[in-house]
Order: sequence, then structure tokens, then C-alpha cells
Amino acid sequence: MRIVVVVGRVLDPSGFVVNRRAGRVFVNREEYILHPADRCALEAALRIKDASGAEVVALPRAPLPDDDVLRQALSMGADRAIDLYGDALEAADEAVMSRVLAATVGRLGETALVLIGAQTLDTGFSQLGPRLAEALGWPQLVGAWQVDVAEGRVQAVLQSQGRYGVNEADLPAVVSVASGALEPRYPNGVRLINVYRGEGEVAQGLERWDVSSLVEADVLEPLVEQRGLDFPPERERGARARGTPQEMAAAAAEALRRHLRS
Amino acid sequence: MDASYLDLLMAQQEEVSEAEGGGGGVWVVADIVDGALAPVTLQALGAARGLADSLGAYVYGVLLGRDVTDLAPALYQAGADGVRIADHPSLADYALEPFLGVLADLFDSEQPEVVLFGATKAGQQLAARLAQRMGGGLIEHVTAVGLDESTRAVLGTYPMYGGEYFQVAACPAARPQFLTIEPGAFPSPFLDPYRKGEPTPLDLEPPAAAVRVIGPAEGFQPPVGPLSQATVIVAAGRHAGDFELVRKLAAAIGGRVAGDRGARDRGWVEADQVLDVRGVVATPEVYVAIGIGGDTFHNAAVEGARFILAVHPRPDAPIFELADLVLEADPQEVLPILLDELE
Repeated sequence: MRIVVVVGRVLDPSGFVVNRRAGRVFVNREEYILHPADRCALEAALRIKDASGAEVVALPRAPLPDDDVLRQALSMGADRAIDLYGDALEAADEAVMSRVLAATVGRLGETALVLIGAQTLDTGFSQLGPRLAEALGWPQLVGAWQVDVAEGRVQAVLQSQGRYGVNEADLPAVVSVASGALEPRYPNGVRLINVYRGEGEVAQGLERWDVSSLVEADVLEPLVEQRGLDFPPERERGARARGTPQEMAAAAAEALRRHLRS
Repeated sequence: MDASYLDLLMAQQEEVSEAEGGGGGVWVVADIVDGALAPVTLQALGAARGLADSLGAYVYGVLLGRDVTDLAPALYQAGADGVRIADHPSLADYALEPFLGVLADLFDSEQPEVVLFGATKAGQQLAARLAQRMGGGLIEHVTAVGLDESTRAVLGTYPMYGGEYFQVAACPAARPQFLTIEPGAFPSPFLDPYRKGEPTPLDLEPPAAAVRVIGPAEGFQPPVGPLSQATVIVAAGRHAGDFELVRKLAAAIGGRVAGDRGARDRGWVEADQVLDVRGVVATPEVYVAIGIGGDTFHNAAVEGARFILAVHPRPDAPIFELADLVLEADPQEVLPILLDELE
């Protein structure tokens, strides 16, 4: 059985500050991390591998300037990682990536399960998993807290209205994994060294595929265009709730509700 | 004086009409929770009305479910010019494939220009699958909309890193343009009781669901992550008074319990629950400080929180300079009322 796990990188939020007055993001330390939800998806794939001996193949969720996240996936235990490259891919959005990934899964063949993080850390977008499921024509389970595979079916624990329930779909399927669902393992030190030195079996797992061999050029046209940044007004601190304890509590409850909802 | 003729006059004026034969338009797919419209649906209709007025287009609402016809008047009142109703027993509870099948057939024939969903679990899934199926672009969690009049593209603003800053994006070429509207980001529109219309029922045969619901996950406990990654934290300090009230507040808003060094000294929290630059540094979405004066070490550990509510009896508590909302009061007096309010 082959499991594909889609992983992506994101700028570490502790490495930048946002100056709302200047309307700029100042990056002090340009360091990238795996999307937390993608790390959980990778952990889910590796747990299924540990239990059933499946092959785990890591693919990028967006074009990668470097292959660090794929090397990280290999060092954590993935068997193969495929870097997708091509000049036309650089501006790819989720619509493009879903088609490229679907073509890659098709080329790989015999894939039973695609795992992906349910939400990205930066944009909060969750569309790549459902888009990929649509492109493949497979069922989807969204926001899984636990994933198990048995007898041609995948079972996932999903949260709905504060309760956890078990949902099931036939394989092949796409499952997106919730951020924080699983405690991801640390990279294996020996594999990490070997994958960067280019030594051993683990280093041979890193492949590079040209997207032009996978899809037609017109598929690589992005649909969404970025039109700049916007900054919220500067935060005003120290606003006091006035009045009786009842009025103060009502103001606090209203503010809490508003911020908990968002 | 009998002014009933005015009602009649208004009703005649506000009888809304829609384009003959469909085509284009701004569409809003309603979210129905426990038989009622979710607030985000009305908020999305308000946003759609504004967009449609600028585009010179009509606004349509779509209701999917079982016995949902009664909800149509509210869609008209909130700004819809037309309402389509998909009423079927298999749509009683949300399942992806039946909802997706009905909407895909509808939008195939109507060819909308813009489609809005609420950024709820169902809305997020449906919008992504439909966008992929119809070749449209999707902008998620939109908190503000604008219009690029040269391309008739909707400019969607969405939060980055949970709202640290915002990104503006558009789908200039692909149609339909799909957007999911963040709940609470847009005001609820005025419900005009004189706006009314006749909803159109849809002929439909929804496909079967591909996902089977097995039942509750018996014994499943979600993992508890570190306090530093908690999204909601309620912390107690020396002046909290009754720690049980702090626990209850944390339970009421789904938060983790923490404290400052004063709470640790009183034995209320363990060492790994102390928010302090020498202990745990956290950046929750919501941080509630109960009876915490706020020394430099504590304040530095929580200053990254998105929203800080501080309750303390002293008017000059340093935490007040950091907090977004300040309650200068005795926590023992305010917390019971706050708990009642939240219930």
C-alpha cells in the first residue's frame, strides 16, 4: 500500500514582527518550518506505515525554493520524497497544485491514501485537500484527529459540534489531518545526516520530477492573484469597561464571545 | 388615521424581481444550523448585496435541507432577489456528496459570477470542491470585500497568521469566483420586512454520500498540547480570590488554566502552568488574566496574545497597560456574573 503525504513550508511566525503603523512586515529571522497540520499528517502516515508497512511518499503542497521540508520528511521516516519543479510552477496557487499533485499521484500509481494538513498556518486556507480529492475523484474526510486503515477502508475520528465521531470511507481517499491532532515524532538523527550528506538509502529517496512531464502548460495558470497587503489599525490597549459589575461583566462577555468566535 | 395603504404601497414597491433565465449574479449558499439560518448567511447576503449593487447584478440565495422553505423570507429580507430551494430528505443532515451534487447541477445551469459561502466546516468543503469542479478561484476566510471594476473581480481580504496582517487577493479571469465569508466579519444586514419574493424549488435527485458515519468515538481523548500553544488561556493571580471560579471560567470558554508566580505560591497551579518569561511564554488568541497585577516577567510572557482581558481590583495594575479590555473590579464579585452572562 502506498500513502502520499502532502507537506509544505511556512515562515516561522516567531521570526517576524508586523508594524501596523508602517504597514510592513519586518522579517528578522527568515526560517521556515513545516505547516503544523502537515507535520501531523506526516505523523499519521508514519503511524500507518509502522502498523502496516505501507510506503510513504512525501509531495510538496506548494512549489519549494529548496527541498528542506522534503528532507525533513525523509529524516522523520518517509520512504520517498518528490520535489516538483518547473519555471511555470513558481506562481502556482491551490488550483494549480491540486492538478499537479493529482497527476503526480496518478503517475505514482497504486496510491491508497493521500494525507494532508487540514489548514495552513499562514493563510488559514484549507482548500488544497478538498480540491485534490475532487481532482482525483476520491472521497474526502476533513479535519481528522486519528486515522486508521483496514480492509480497504479508512476510518477517521472527526470533530463535529464539540463531539468526536468515527467516519469511514472506502479507499482510495483523501484525508486532511487537524493541526495538533498527533504528537509528531522527531527526525531520526542518522537519517537527517545521511539525507543532507546524500549518503545511504534515505538519500536515494529524494527525487526531482519536472512538472512539464506531468501536466499540460495551460494547467499551470494560477487563478488567484495577490493584490497586496492590508494592515489592521494599531491596537488600542487599556480600554476600561465602566459601570456596575453587571455592566462590566456584560461588556467582558460580549468581547470574549466576539474574539472566541473569530 | 388609517395608514395601512402605506404598507400596501411599500409592499408593492419592494416586490423584488430577478433576471429572466438566470445567468451571472452573486449567489449565497445558506448555512442552516438546527433548522435556523446561521448568522454568517445573513452577513454574507449583506456583503453580496453590496457587491451586486456595484456590479449591476442580482443576488440569489440557495437553501439546501429538509423543510427549509420557511427560511426563504429571511433571505429576501436580507437582500436576496431570488431564492432557490433544494428540499429533499437526503439533505436533512449535511453530507458532502449530496450537497455538492445539487449545487454543481444548479451552478452549471445558472453560471454564477460570484458565489459566497460561510467559512464554516461545510462551507469550506463545498466551496473548495465546487471551485475545483467548475474551474473557479477560491479565496477563504474573507473579512472584507472590494471590487476591481476593470475586470469585475472581487477583491477578498483574508487574515494572515490569524490576523497579524491581511492579504488582498482576486480572481481576475476565472469564473465563478468563490469566496468563504468569515463569521462575524461583516455586519448583519437590516432585514427589510417589505422585501419579499417567491422562491423557486429545484428538481433534484442528490447523489449518495461517500462517507459513512459510524458513531461516536468512544473513549477518544484529543491530545493535550503544551500550554505555550493553547489558543485560549485563563490565568489566576494573587488577587483572584476563589480559584474555582477561574476554573469554571476556563471551562466555560474552552480554555486552559494557568497562573502567575503568585498563583504558584498559593498552590493553585503547577510549575509548568506559570506564565512568565522564566516559565511558559504563550501567544493565545484569547488571554484572560484574573487578579494578576502583571509584573514585567509575566507581561512579557503574554504580550503576544491577540486579545487580553484583565480583571484586577487595583486601578494601577501594570497588566492594565497591556490589556485590550480592563475590568477594574474584585474578581470574586465580577466572575459569577460573567459566568452567568456566558451561559
